[in-house]
Amino acid sequence: MSLDKLKNRNVGVQNYKMLDLGHTPESGWGKFKQVLKRSVKLELFVGLKVTIREMFKALFMGEMHTVKYPFEKLPISPRYRAIHEMKRLLESGHYRCIGCGLCEKICISNCIKMDTRYDEEQRKEVSDYTINFGRCIFCGYCAEVCPELAIVHGGRYETASEQRASYSNFEDMLTPMDELMNQKEYPGFGAPTPVADKNIKKTPLAY
Amino acid sequence: MEAIAFYIFAILITGLFLVTAFSRNILYAMSSLAAGMVLISGLFFILGADFLGAVQLVVYSGAIMALYAFGMMFFDATRDVKEKNTSSYLVFLLSGFSAVALVVIFAAPTIGKHIEPIVTAPQGLDNPHAIGAVLFTKYLIPFEVAAVMLLVAMIAGIVLASKKMDESLSEIYLDADPETEKKEQE
Amino acid sequence: MDGYIIATVIKAILILAVISALAGFGTYIERKILAFIQRRLGPMHVGPFGVLQIAADGIKLFTKEDFIPSGANKIVFMVAPIITAATAFIALAAVPLLPEFTLFGIDVKPIVSDMNIGILFVIAMMGVGLYGPLLAGMAQENKWGIIGSARTAIQFLSYEVVTGLSLLAPIMMVGSLSLIDFNTYQAGGIGHWIVWTQPVAFILFLISGFAETNRTPFDLLENEAEVISGYATEYSGMRWGMFFIGEYANMITIGFLASLIFLGGFNPLWIIPGGLAIILKVAFFFFLMLWVRSAWPHIRPDQLMWLCWKVLMPLAVINILITGLVMMA
Repeated sequence: MSLDKLKNRNVGVQNYKMLDLGHTPESGWGKFKQVLKRSVKLELFVGLKVTIREMFKALFMGEMHTVKYPFEKLPISPRYRAIHEMKRLLESGHYRCIGCGLCEKICISNCIKMDTRYDEEQRKEVSDYTINFGRCIFCGYCAEVCPELAIVHGGRYETASEQRASYSNFEDMLTPMDELMNQKEYPGFGAPTPVADKNIKKTPLAY
Repeated sequence: MEAIAFYIFAILITGLFLVTAFSRNILYAMSSLAAGMVLISGLFFILGADFLGAVQLVVYSGAIMALYAFGMMFFDATRDVKEKNTSSYLVFLLSGFSAVALVVIFAAPTIGKHIEPIVTAPQGLDNPHAIGAVLFTKYLIPFEVAAVMLLVAMIAGIVLASKKMDESLSEIYLDADPETEKKEQE
Repeated sequence: MDGYIIATVIKAILILAVISALAGFGTYIERKILAFIQRRLGPMHVGPFGVLQIAADGIKLFTKEDFIPSGANKIVFMVAPIITAATAFIALAAVPLLPEFTLFGIDVKPIVSDMNIGILFVIAMMGVGLYGPLLAGMAQENKWGIIGSARTAIQFLSYEVVTGLSLLAPIMMVGSLSLIDFNTYQAGGIGHWIVWTQPVAFILFLISGFAETNRTPFDLLENEAEVISGYATEYSGMRWGMFFIGEYANMITIGFLASLIFLGGFNPLWIIPGGLAIILKVAFFFFLMLWVRSAWPHIRPDQLMWLCWKVLMPLAVINILITGLVMMA
């Protein structure tokens, strides 16, 4: 399945067709005629035909709809907001987070907690970063506000766990170093759109 | 072999009907009566009257007892019934007398010696055919009279029950004309 | 005499074992076919293609707590499921299941009791089977149960009439109540099947068969949407399972009756031997019941009664009348 279907947001412009249901017959003769018409036209057997056709489609034409969930998964939209991911810089492998604290500030459920300090080179360093997923409502504000695209939403939606802390450490959310080559830029919520370059306008300061 | 089966059936039937008579619980009474009716058909099967046995099953246990049960639905079947006898002597006398009379009526032919069957069972026919042959030759008129009586009962039942048969309750509300409804309200 | 008794006992035990196993397997088939029709996979994980699902279900049913509500009438509540299962199997006693065959030099008739009123006995036993749901509903002190048993009474009583009347016309043609006579009557191949001379009776019997086995267009006894589970609301564990073994055994019985009376029974068909032919026919009827369940909605109780007394019963009577006139002419 391509992702185009998921991106179709044109909900509510389908062409509805009103069925002509006719009217209920009043007289006994009319009722009798209706019964006769329905029986002789074999309307009942249309239902049987449809069901057996679906069965043949499913069995012999590969149109079985079951997704064996834990073994197979349907693709999800890139804009889906699940467990957060922390991205790294591709060149150095250092994490992108600059410790600005915007995500902590904007978080409406107060679930992000971060501590920063100066390291030996007097650069700001994130010393402690946790997200309380018991409170997180996955609103996506943190990803939207992040100036460095450092915190984004990933696609990991199976969040059943024995402990709430299982996902919430900074190191757990960070892209592993050996996976760095496969790190994808987040196309979803908060990311610049593909036409962002075209839409950009000069600010007054540039004059 | 047949004697053993007969005594087993007889004991079971008597026991079940005693439960029917003495139980204070509607549900016990009804289910033991139904079970007794089923077992009576066993007696017919022992006697080789297969057709009558099956008819006993269909008519008594399948239809009549089920209608009783349908009537029982209006009571709370899981509770005990408190019987109210105004004069227990009268009840005892009447029921005892009718029981003795029934026993005498049914036992007399087997004890009496001057009784011979008017119609002998046709030979060389199996059970349903033999019953049919007797019913439609010797007993044709009683059979037809019984049929007419059943027809009369059926028509009477339909007439009694069908006074408002054509008006379905759901349709009365559905088909109600809003204008006449307004007038009625005024 | 002794040999007869031993043979009968062996046959009875065999039928009990095979049909109850088939009834259990029927639940698997039903789930699988309904799933295919809805383009699902159905049970897949217990055994290859989920075949062992019935074993899992059986373990679940056997180990479940046998629950009896405190307000219920204990004895009747406990006996009721046994009535359903027992009558369903007793009804099979008069049905010839396969053609005669020879095993170790002994001629075997695969019928427990070849009585000359076979059809009547089967119908009577299925009629008595209504006591299972009826007593179950009344004994459990539950409003859904009471409604379920009231529906049992009206549905089974009404449709017994249609079953009996629709079978009367074929019985008149054959002139016997024995199912083996029906089979020999249709021995001449497809052209001799009674379904060609009695199509109306066949359709009526099929419809009332659906009603008597409590299958979907007429599954008012335990319709979840209306009466939770009807008569089976308070049941759990194996007692609940017995109701369903009874129901599936009844479905098999109706399949056998329809194929014996209308579709040529166990006579050989072209190159298909008789035993396989009747199994195929019964399998078709079983499939038809599942197919109809997937396609058609169930009807209201008043529509059920309307269908029975205003449509099917007059049709059955007219059918008998016409059959009688044609036979006399």
